[in-house]
Amino acid sequence: MLGYIGRRILATIPVMAVVGLFVFSLLYFAPGDPAAIIAGDQASPEDIIRIRATLGLDRPFLVRFGEWSWHILHGDLGTSIFTNLPVTTMIGQRVQPTVSLMLVTLVFAIAVAVPLGVVAAWKAGSLIDRLVMGLAVTGFSVPVFVVGYILAYVFALQLGWLPVQGYTPIEQGLWPWLSHLILPAVTLGLVYIALIARVTRATMLDVLSQDYVRTARAKGLAQGPVLFVHALKNAAVPIVTVIGIGIALLIGGAVVTETVFAIPGLGRLTVDAILRRDYPIIQGIVLLFSFVYVLVNLAIDLFYTLLDPRIRY
Amino acid sequence: MTATVAPFPDRVPQAGAPPGGLPKAPPPPGLAVAAPLPDVIPVRKHRGKVWTYVRRNPTIVVGGVMLLIVFLMALLAPWLGTVDPTALAPAKRTRMPSAQYWFGTDMLGRDVYSRVVYGARVSLLVGFAVAFLASVAGLAVGLVSGMVRWLDGVVMRVVDGMMSIPPILLAIALMALTRGSVQNVIIAITIAEIPRVARLVRGVVLSLREQPYVEAAVTTGTRMPAIIWRHILPNTLAPMTVQATYICASAMITEAILSFIGAGVPPSTPSWGNIMAEGRALWQVKFYIILFPAIFLSMTVLAVNLVGDGLRDALDPRMAKDV
Repeated sequence: MLGYIGRRILATIPVMAVVGLFVFSLLYFAPGDPAAIIAGDQASPEDIIRIRATLGLDRPFLVRFGEWSWHILHGDLGTSIFTNLPVTTMIGQRVQPTVSLMLVTLVFAIAVAVPLGVVAAWKAGSLIDRLVMGLAVTGFSVPVFVVGYILAYVFALQLGWLPVQGYTPIEQGLWPWLSHLILPAVTLGLVYIALIARVTRATMLDVLSQDYVRTARAKGLAQGPVLFVHALKNAAVPIVTVIGIGIALLIGGAVVTETVFAIPGLGRLTVDAILRRDYPIIQGIVLLFSFVYVLVNLAIDLFYTLLDPRIRY
Repeated sequence: MTATVAPFPDRVPQAGAPPGGLPKAPPPPGLAVAAPLPDVIPVRKHRGKVWTYVRRNPTIVVGGVMLLIVFLMALLAPWLGTVDPTALAPAKRTRMPSAQYWFGTDMLGRDVYSRVVYGARVSLLVGFAVAFLASVAGLAVGLVSGMVRWLDGVVMRVVDGMMSIPPILLAIALMALTRGSVQNVIIAITIAEIPRVARLVRGVVLSLREQPYVEAAVTTGTRMPAIIWRHILPNTLAPMTVQATYICASAMITEAILSFIGAGVPPSTPSWGNIMAEGRALWQVKFYIILFPAIFLSMTVLAVNLVGDGLRDALDPRMAKDV
C-alpha cells in the first residue's frame, strides 16, 4: 500500500515535468525579445546583445529550462510584464473568488447530479430517465457563456432575485458572498452535472442488475436504502473518477464564467493577461491549474482504497 | 463418390459451355421435377426503409437534418437575404430586431442576422477541420505508441502531461503565442485535442494486439504494415468516428470561447463567439446581440452531439443506450 502511494506520487513527477516543459516553451517561443524591450528604442544592437547576456537569454534552451524549473520549485513564478509585480502575488490576490466559485459549483453539481443519475437508472426508460438524459445532452451542447447570460438575464435582470455581476468576499458575510456565486455556480455546473449524471446512471444500471441488489430487495428493504446505500456505494469508484476528471471542465469553464459575471478571479486574470500578452502570468496560471488538476486526481486515485476495500495495490 | 455439384449450374458460366448454359438433362422417369430455382432470390422491397432507419436511429437523423440546415446556411450565406456582414453603419447602431434587421444591429451598426449567417462558416470549418486533423494526428501517435513498445512509455508520459492541462487553457496558452486567425484557432484546438485521440487509439491497439487473429497473423509472417492496415485500422475506425464527432462539438465550443474572450477569430471575420464578444458590453440592454448567435451555436453543437450519440449507439452496441 505504502509502496503504491509512493509509486503513484513519483509518477506525477514526469507529468508535471512535461507540463513545465510546455509552459516554459511558451515563454521561450513567445514573440518579442525581452532584451529589446528592456533596452528601449534608442539601443544599439550591441546594447541588446549585452543585455541579453546579462539576463542569460543567450544560453541554450535546456540550461534556461533547468534554471527556470529551479525558480519554480522555490516558488518563484517570475514577474508580470505589465504590472511588474511577482506572478505569485498577482495570483494570490485573485485566488479567493475562483476557489469560492469552484467549491460552490462542486458541492452544487454533485448534490444535483448524483441523485439525478440514480433516479434515472432506477426508472430507466421512463420519462424521468429521458428528461435527465436530455438534460445531459443539452448540458454538453450549450456553451457555458450562453447559459450564463441567459440565467443572468432572467434571474438577475428581469426577476431581480440575485445580483447581476461581481463578487463579494466571504469576510463581508455569508449571504452576500453566496448570492453572488449562485448564478455563476449554476452556469459553470451545468456541463459538470451532465457529465456526472451520465456516468452515475450508467454505473448504477450496471450495479442494479447484480444479485445482491435483488437479495436486498427480496429481504424487503425499502427502495431508498437499496438505491443510495447498497447500490450507490458500489457505483462510487467510477463516479468519483469522473468528478476528478471533470475538474478540467470546471477550470476551463471558470475562465468564461468569470468573464460573464465580472468575477475578479484567476479566469479574469487569464483573459486580461492574454489581451496584454503578459506571458509570465499565463505561464503561472497554466502551471497552477495543471498542478491542482494533477493533485486532485492523485488524491482520488489514493481514495479508491477507502471507497472499495477490494482494491489492493 | 466425389461429384461436385454447382449450386446454380445455369448461372455459372463455364469454360467451353454453350452460351445458353448447360443443356438440361431429361428428368429421370418416375420422379417429380421440382420447380426450377429463380435466377435471383427476390429481395423484399422495403417501402418504409427510410422510416425504419429513422425509427431506429432518431438521434442521428434529427441531428443530421439540423446539421444539414446549418451547412446549407453557411454555403448559401450570400443568397439568404444577407448584407455585407462587415459593413459599418454608425447611424443605425443597436437597432432592435425588426423587419429590416431581423436580428437587429450591433454597436457598429452591422447587421447581426448577416453576421450570424456568415458566422456558421467559421464554426463549421473549425469544428470539422479540428475533428479531421486531430483524428489523423491522434491516430498516428496512438498507432506508434501502441505498436512500438519502446516508444510507448515516452509518448504516453507526454500525452499524460498534455492531458493534465485543461484543454481550454491549453488552447488559450497557444493562442497567446500567435495572432488571432481562423487558421491559428484550428491549430491550437487541434493540439489540445490530439492527446485524447492518441489515448483512445493506443487503448484499442493494445487490446487488439492480444487478439488470437492478430497473433495468428503475426505467426504466419504477415508484415507489420499489413497487420496495421488489415486488422488494426478497421477496428479503430468505429470508436474514432464517434470520438471525432465529439471533438467536432467541443472544438466549436472552444472556438466560440476563444473568440468570446478575444483570443480567437478577429472581429473582421464574423464568428458566433466574437459576435457575442461584441455584444458583451451591451448585454444588459441589448440582449438580442448575444441571444441570436448563442441560439445558433447551441443548436449546431447539439446537432453534432446528437449525431455522435446516434453513431455511438449504432457502431458500438455494447455502449448503446447506457452512457
